[in-house]
Amino acid sequence: MTSRTRLPAVFLAPPLLILAVLAFVPTAYAIYISFRNRELSRPDGSFVGLANYIDLFSDRRFVNAIGVSLTWELVTVTLTLLVAIVLGILMFEFASARQRAVLTLIFLVPVILPRVSAAFVWKFAFHPLYGIVTYPYKAITGQPLDLLSNPATALMTVALVDVWQWGLFFGVIVLKLLETLPPQPFEAARLDHARPWQIYLYVALPMLKAPLISLTFIKMIESLRAFDLIYVMTRGGPGIVTETLDMYAFSQGFIESGRISYASSMAVLMMVATTVIFTVIWKRVKP
Amino acid sequence: MANIVCSHVDKAYGAVNVIRDFNLEIDDHEFVVFLGPSGCGKSTLLRMIAGLEEISGGTVSIAGRTVNDLEPRDRGVAMVFQNYALYPHMTIHDNIAFGLKRMKVDKSEIESRIKTVAGTLGLEPYLSRKPTELSGGQQQRVAIARAMIKTPRVFLFDEPLSNLDAKLRNHMRVEIARLHQSLKTTTIYVTHDQLEAMTLADRIVLMKGGAIEQVGTPAEIYERPRTLFVAGFIGTPNMNFLDVTARADGDTWLLDGDGVRFRVSRERFEITEGQGLTLGVRPSALSASPDARGGENTLAGVTDLVEFHGDSALISFRVGGKEIGALVPAASRPMRDAPVCFSVSGENLHAFDRTTGLSVLRNSA
Repeated sequence: MTSRTRLPAVFLAPPLLILAVLAFVPTAYAIYISFRNRELSRPDGSFVGLANYIDLFSDRRFVNAIGVSLTWELVTVTLTLLVAIVLGILMFEFASARQRAVLTLIFLVPVILPRVSAAFVWKFAFHPLYGIVTYPYKAITGQPLDLLSNPATALMTVALVDVWQWGLFFGVIVLKLLETLPPQPFEAARLDHARPWQIYLYVALPMLKAPLISLTFIKMIESLRAFDLIYVMTRGGPGIVTETLDMYAFSQGFIESGRISYASSMAVLMMVATTVIFTVIWKRVKP
Repeated sequence: MANIVCSHVDKAYGAVNVIRDFNLEIDDHEFVVFLGPSGCGKSTLLRMIAGLEEISGGTVSIAGRTVNDLEPRDRGVAMVFQNYALYPHMTIHDNIAFGLKRMKVDKSEIESRIKTVAGTLGLEPYLSRKPTELSGGQQQRVAIARAMIKTPRVFLFDEPLSNLDAKLRNHMRVEIARLHQSLKTTTIYVTHDQLEAMTLADRIVLMKGGAIEQVGTPAEIYERPRTLFVAGFIGTPNMNFLDVTARADGDTWLLDGDGVRFRVSRERFEITEGQGLTLGVRPSALSASPDARGGENTLAGVTDLVEFHGDSALISFRVGGKEIGALVPAASRPMRDAPVCFSVSGENLHAFDRTTGLSVLRNSA
């Protein structure tokens, strides 16, 4: 850029500086204290080297959290994309322009809702006694259905809320992407003996490969930040079956023992792991 | 191989009728061109035959079978689109093979057929490339290969050459003609380019505003245009038109207009006394005759514009209020502002009723 004035720099510098401070100071500090044995209850602490990191790998709750986090990523990303593609195609195939506009509006509502609100709404909907979702089961069997306290269903139930928020929104995006495609290859495929599902599978979706990969990445990053949803709905319970890495780090640092250094080492490890994993995947699938 | 019959075909978008009562029979092996200006419904009609547009009324049958309610894939047709419509993410090989794969044709059979088709169209070097790596002409050749390989009963071409540059268009036109000569598949070809229509067609269907203006061989359409519209649409440079009024004079008709007088025989035209006519004469039918100035069956004026075409030159001059064009050998073209006079022989005259626009040429003439 050969901007002749320094005006852009003058305006950009202060906010960028604030952003940099907000981003890098906590990160640097987290790395710093992850090598110490600082606790919330004590103001001091000493350098312990990699002790926190080494402890992590013998911590079964940490290993569990890795598993939960990976499951969470896999389930929410896969289901969101699946729901989005199916919804997008159904709308594209069957809805008129007016119906599409109405559906688009409806499907955008969940994602506009703050996630904490969504979490509370659904937590109440899943309430074993008063919830609207569990009501039919209770009415038929006479037994309350407590999905969120059942270790077998808790994580999937929370994932359902996440997919409800993002799957519908991504469905709208998929619809808009399909609408941007030129119609002729579809027509050519219809003449080429392709059935409707084959047209989508072999022509439409491959033509949308690049944007769909981008959507997957957006959702992967978004799923990493599901702390608020899980915190409100289950707080990691029952037991530790919905305890993701960030939930566990949070409870180690602030709720249970105040082991802020131990929690920081977890956060640092997560940061490194996600950076590495995302870079590798990004390089792999880049179209 | 199949014939196509359209009977009383209508197409309406809401209250707007874009095709009205279209009737046409296309014989087996025939190459028919739908020709007309933009928006005349020729592409819509083609897409209705292909099954890409709903048929609002009437029936279309291919090889004796009504196809109104059949899916495009079940009609035995293959189509080539104006913008090629290749699958952008597939290689040329996969583009061509796509239809056969869907038809569950045996793998080895697919490969051998691709080899033949690619050989015919000169596509062997490109089979592993993606469509974007090919030029427009090559892409259109792939589209033709994709249509050909299914050995359809009917080929449909929707302005296939419109996106190509002039030179390539000529080349591809010859290729399509040659292809039809060897395959003899029944073909419908939509274009707005009269040169393509004249050179490729067994029969031309000239359309205007959703209805047929004239159906005929290229020669019939050129030599005996049925309406004023056809006369004006076909032929470059455009036909000249003059408004005249008929008057009987012995065994001939005298046609008087603004600054012109023509005398024509009664055998050629079916005219009534005092009928208002539009006289048509092609620029190539004017022959220079400087001595005949002011006589009957002549057009005289002062050269206004000289367009050099190479072998010939188009002279423009005014007669009465009308601009007249005359095609003369380039070697003998006059200078600008020079007086010119051309004579027209009676058999080169066309005449149309001024109110109906229909030709008054006798069938026997």
